Amino acid sequence: MKINFILNKEAVSIDVDPMKRLLDVLREDFGLMGSKEGCGEGECGLCTVIYDNKPVTSCILNAIHADNKEILTAEGVAEEPLGKLLIECFDETNAVQCGICFPGFLVSSYHYLLTDGEPVLEKIKTALSGNICRCTGYKKIFESVLLACQRKKSGEA
Amino acid sequence: MKFYKPTSLPDLFRIVNDIEGKKYYLAGGTDINVQIKKDMIKDEPVIFINHLNELRGIFEVEDKIIIGCLTSFKDLLESILIKKHLPYLQKSLNAFASPLLQAMASLGGNLANGSPTADLTPPLLVLDAKLKILSRSKMRIIPLAEFYRGYKQFNLKHNELIGAIIISKQAEAGYDCFHRKIGSRKALTIAKIGLAGLKKAENGIIKDIKLAAGSLNEYPRRLIKLEEYLVGKSIDSLNFTDIEEILQKEITPISDLRSDKEYRWQVTVNLLETFLKN
Repeated sequence: MKINFILNKEAVSIDVDPMKRLLDVLREDFGLMGSKEGCGEGECGLCTVIYDNKPVTSCILNAIHADNKEILTAEGVAEEPLGKLLIECFDETNAVQCGICFPGFLVSSYHYLLTDGEPVLEKIKTALSGNICRCTGYKKIFESVLLACQRKKSGEA
Repeated sequence: MKFYKPTSLPDLFRIVNDIEGKKYYLAGGTDINVQIKKDMIKDEPVIFINHLNELRGIFEVEDKIIIGCLTSFKDLLESILIKKHLPYLQKSLNAFASPLLQAMASLGGNLANGSPTADLTPPLLVLDAKLKILSRSKMRIIPLAEFYRGYKQFNLKHNELIGAIIISKQAEAGYDCFHRKIGSRKALTIAKIGLAGLKKAENGIIKDIKLAAGSLNEYPRRLIKLEEYLVGKSIDSLNFTDIEEILQKEITPISDLRSDKEYRWQVTVNLLETFLKN
């Protein structure tokens, strides 16, 4: 089935099994390896992408869900000014350990920064509650997002 | 796997009428894709419905709130109408999974998946929610409590679909509302126990009470016998020996990978005590 969508701000079209997992479409058909597979059941957040302006787990979406929608992957987020700010803050606070969860955290954090951005720890924790870090480095991750929120608020970004 | 994408609601029912055997409706995909991964769904036909926007939305019709089956948990959490009329229901939604799943998971899908642990079913049961069930030429309305008939067994014919969920705007008014989900962590956890309750008391006497439990039976259900027993009782002199005896007939806690039956039993009794005495 022919599926048309906007991927990282570019119109794309693909002939694909409509039930193919969106995660596999992104990785195999478009070579976007930022989205990882962890649990494959929507519980770990390694495959988080922005879909229709909301962060979702792409491992439990199908190609058909993308039809006529807009998708921003970790690669796309990294090109955005707020994505760059987040990467800078993750870097400064040494928030990334093994790194596999990082693209997912980046996408969820980006959405929070874009739609809310209030530097409030409890709100950040809720926004990131769908992403799991097996190194359990949450403290530094929350600190880096808090820092990004503060910088955005004070107009440094 | 045969795949269908209906062009409209009439087209959907035309397709559905032609498929006699087992089939799956694909909305947000959050349950179905896990079941495909686990080989629980193999070759059954899949009908995509997520684009049928007439099945989505939250509406106020006279004294009722109507929630289209495709409405997501995120839509419900952000709804001004739900906040105004059903704040208890809105608060209960926070127990569900994570923001990433709340964005995709639909209310209709959550009910139709029929998990014994479904987070929102106990609150919906105590709110006396009803289901509007659609087919090609008919529409019927049934109480949610009559939808479940066993583990993943439903009061639903092969050509039917849950179209909407209906709740009275007054469903919470004047009640003390209670909802607790017991899991292993705060977010992204499957309930070991879910308990919902609404209570009206006057001068220390229980005038009206509604109780529903999840993860404690083959499907979430109302605790009718316990409700009947509790009406008219004084809160200060409740007899918990009697209450436990009735509760034993109402729930069948099991031991599984998430918890064991002794824990489930004791915590349910504790939660019940907390709710009844406050």
